[in-house]
Amino acid sequence: MRLALTGTPGTGKSTVADLLAEDYDVIHLNDAIREHDLYEGEDPDRGGSLVADFDAIVDWLGDWEGIVDSHLAHYLDADEVVVLRCRPDLLESRLTERGESPESARENAESEALDVILSEAVERFGVERVYEIDTTDRDPEAVADDVRAVIAGDRDPSAGTVDFTDYL
Amino acid sequence: MSEAEGGKWGIAHVHASFNNTLITVTDQTGAETIAKSSGGTVVKQNRDEASPYAAMQMAEVVADEVKAAGIEGVHVRVRGPGGNGNKSPGPGAQATIRALARAGLEIGRIEDVTPIPHDGTRAPKNMRL
Ligand SMILES: Nc1ncnc2c1ncn2[C@@H]1O[C@H](COP(=O)(O)OP(=O)(O)O)[C@@H](O)[C@H]1O
Ligand SMILES: [Mg+2]
Repeated sequence: MRLALTGTPGTGKSTVADLLAEDYDVIHLNDAIREHDLYEGEDPDRGGSLVADFDAIVDWLGDWEGIVDSHLAHYLDADEVVVLRCRPDLLESRLTERGESPESARENAESEALDVILSEAVERFGVERVYEIDTTDRDPEAVADDVRAVIAGDRDPSAGTVDFTDYL
Repeated sequence: MSEAEGGKWGIAHVHASFNNTLITVTDQTGAETIAKSSGGTVVKQNRDEASPYAAMQMAEVVADEVKAAGIEGVHVRVRGPGGNGNKSPGPGAQATIRALARAGLEIGRIEDVTPIPHDGTRAPKNMRL
């Protein structure tokens, strides 16, 4: 079983993935991309963000099973996709507190408001394999339990459960 | 009337999310808002707010308002997953542009300025299906 744990940066994926690591194998894909040279260039307009090389990533992952934590996880093959959501204004302040530049925090918050990652996940996997979880004002433990429920088959697929366009 | 012939032009900002479409027409500098509409104002059901039908209805109203303000054409800036391509979700963007044109506005440059999620890494540009 492979689960893609995706969502805009700042939605709490890595926090939740660390909680789930007690029970499952977890890969933090962003770290792996850096450590194993799985990129094809850099984006000077986005703080030198590494542009992921998906051919290299797919080769490197092979048939690895477990939870892939990354805002890029939904580009990989997976059995199910969990998309974490967070109200964009909250997400923006989380990212700023984490030390992201204001431009970077703003672009990610706007991505969240426009459902960019949710839409990509639905486009690739179809609504029946996408599980949207709103983390706004919720505990990481509670969110981790929701992901466990997805893995156990105790949760129905969902998409479009939030509308964050007020932020725009 | 083309832009070169001196007609007044604006910018149509189209935000197309999974659930909703927003249209805002500003002057060329982006400072002054001339007309504004969101999917929620034209349909009753939440899930219809991003539909091409809602987008068309909004675009017609917006087009009338901006024409009344003396605008003859718009450059379009699309932000949103429905922005490049014509698929649902986010199906409102293409419908909006077509409806603005049908309502008699000239359409100039169409730019896709959809934000890119990034966190030390980002996807390459060609990843969208
Ligand atoms: N459920 C939550 N409630 C409040 N703050 C959270 C929550 N989840 C994560 N955070 C905080 O938000 C920031 C981003 O979390 P992180 O797990 O790194 O997100 P991601 O991996 O999706 O970018 C961190 O500072 C983290 O402590
Ligand atoms: Mg992370």
